[in-house]
Amino acid sequence: MNVRIISANLVVKLLSFYREKTTMFFTFAFPIILILVFGTIFMSQDSMEYRLSVQDLDQTNSSAESIKTLAKKGKFKITSVDPAVDAVQYVRDSKVNLLLVVPRGYAASLMQRIIFNDYSSSVTITYVYDPSSSSVQTKMQILNAALAGINQGMSGRAPFIRSAEKSILTKKYRFIEFFVPGIIAMSIMTMSLFGTVDSDTELRQKGVIRKLSTTPITRTDWILSNVLYQFILAVISTLAMLLVSYAVFDVNLHIDAWLPVFILLDVFAFVGTGMILTRFVKEAQSAAAASNAISYPMMFLAGSFFPIELMPGLLQTIAKKLPLYYVNEGLRASMVFEDNMAALRSAAIIGVYAAVVFILGIMATKWEENQ
Amino acid sequence: MTRETEYAIEVDRLTKRYGDFPAVNDISFSVSKGEVFAFLGPNGAGKTSTVEIIETIRMPTSGKVTLLGMDVTKKKHEIVHRIGVLPQAFSSFDRITVRETLQYYSRLFSVKTDLDGLIELVNLGDKTKEQYKNLSGGLKQRLGIAIALVNDPEVVFLDEPTTGLDPLARHEVWEVLLGLKKKGKTVFLTTHYMEEAELLADTVAIISKGKIIAMGSPGELIEDNANYLALTLRSVDEKVLEIVQKLGFGTVPDKHKNIRIRVEQTYDVQKILQAIKDAGARYRSLDVRRPNLEEVFLKLTGEALREELPEMEAE
Repeated sequence: MNVRIISANLVVKLLSFYREKTTMFFTFAFPIILILVFGTIFMSQDSMEYRLSVQDLDQTNSSAESIKTLAKKGKFKITSVDPAVDAVQYVRDSKVNLLLVVPRGYAASLMQRIIFNDYSSSVTITYVYDPSSSSVQTKMQILNAALAGINQGMSGRAPFIRSAEKSILTKKYRFIEFFVPGIIAMSIMTMSLFGTVDSDTELRQKGVIRKLSTTPITRTDWILSNVLYQFILAVISTLAMLLVSYAVFDVNLHIDAWLPVFILLDVFAFVGTGMILTRFVKEAQSAAAASNAISYPMMFLAGSFFPIELMPGLLQTIAKKLPLYYVNEGLRASMVFEDNMAALRSAAIIGVYAAVVFILGIMATKWEENQ
Repeated sequence: MTRETEYAIEVDRLTKRYGDFPAVNDISFSVSKGEVFAFLGPNGAGKTSTVEIIETIRMPTSGKVTLLGMDVTKKKHEIVHRIGVLPQAFSSFDRITVRETLQYYSRLFSVKTDLDGLIELVNLGDKTKEQYKNLSGGLKQRLGIAIALVNDPEVVFLDEPTTGLDPLARHEVWEVLLGLKKKGKTVFLTTHYMEEAELLADTVAIISKGKIIAMGSPGELIEDNANYLALTLRSVDEKVLEIVQKLGFGTVPDKHKNIRIRVEQTYDVQKILQAIKDAGARYRSLDVRRPNLEEVFLKLTGEALREELPEMEAE
């Protein structure tokens, strides 16, 4: 190992990267864009407000009050529909997925029940809906829950079964706080894998590696400089992602020594995987396809974007075999849940994987023409 | 152990097989220190396999190769410090400038290189800030030669340094190589351009199908294998070909109405021209020249040195 040679190689790699603006953009900006887009989507879901169209055929103060209560309990933004229009036709024409119809006689029935204690008096609120809409069922469930609450309130009796929430976590986290560590793990994986496969395949195909094999640089120097280069890029990219997450979403993430540990393990694991892949990729044109074949299933199955518990059992079993899953788990254990034991468990698993693939990667890397 | 010898390179019964195919078949030769040695042969003759074994890039199947007294299969780390290599189809890092590239290779060898002197030698003074990807083919090759010299090597290997270059760029590279020759470097050159070998080499080895079929100075090879003259008549009348054939000379006509005639002595040239004049036939121009290595190669192997022979130029 020669430090002078490794640093010379590192300088050339960093200069090449800095001058390749498109690569720089996709490396740094793409994960940030993902955080901004998904962060915004899920932030608004935390304070989600559904639009609800209501046709009040009763047109009384009582019906108007009830609609207001419903809007408040179900977090709905109400749009009033003219009582004269045909409800079904309205839903068809105006592309709303649900219209709530309050019947005529609503106030009279309410009076009958409250003032004359006539418990047989009731009204039927009709949902006119479009079943092809994906969000309509959620809206109807919220409406049902809100109506159940109103009915319970009107009964004047305390409910028998109540519910209470108790989280096993010391603090409550938002989706964005779950999401950011996943994106950090995923972008380091992509960067290390593509960086290694693309660059090595291209340099081999162009004959640069053959030229280097006639100089004092060794295979070990070459590989170490690549790891160092990927680590520097990973650190810069992680810092950029964290800065944006703090600035835009005011995330509450815990940063400690586990972060650089997982960045390093992520880099080693996927530079190693990339080196093994490079052995089998002969042309630069197929390098991206080969990297995609590894990275796409990994990023969608390993829980980078959403918890794997949302997936069917078989896919969960597969997810737990993927190295990226343990980087995701480890980063979340340290950054979100502050659980050192869980972080240590994940670090041990990904550490063993990284060591094995990195050694195999070194063995797979051709330096001299060994034929 | 390093052995002092008058030879920079000694190759003894070298064979290189890829599967059952013998790319290099039991060849032996030596290269003296300070000489320019050219390996001349068509594509696939075994030139690059041989040179890559000497450069320590490939392992031989059998035989022994000694470079500066060291076994190339055992002393790679010592050898790489003492040689400079321009590989076939050389390439470098696209977005690194000429000067940065030379600095990079200089740091790989951990040597202090006179970069300005090197840049001057290959005539790249006005391109030092140019990125590699923006250089023309000739400039790239000149940079490749400069890289091969950063460690002031004792032996320089140039594997087809002018292949794919236009004639002007080729001549510019030749100028650089003549500069190397003047400096007394040992140069091992592989080429399929006979002009290149004739111009630059002290010794030429002709290789065909993995075997060395002739070796010597360009003059010796021509003297021994092509002792005749080539008369070329351009834009000839139809009658000319008939007249020459009647005189019993071998002719090679081409589609541009040029004919190449093989004659043994100067007198035969006079005889042919007189016969054409007497018959009132015409031609536009002529030249008479000694054969070159191309003809030597044709004679020795019965195949062309390059896949496409250059046609005789019409004036």
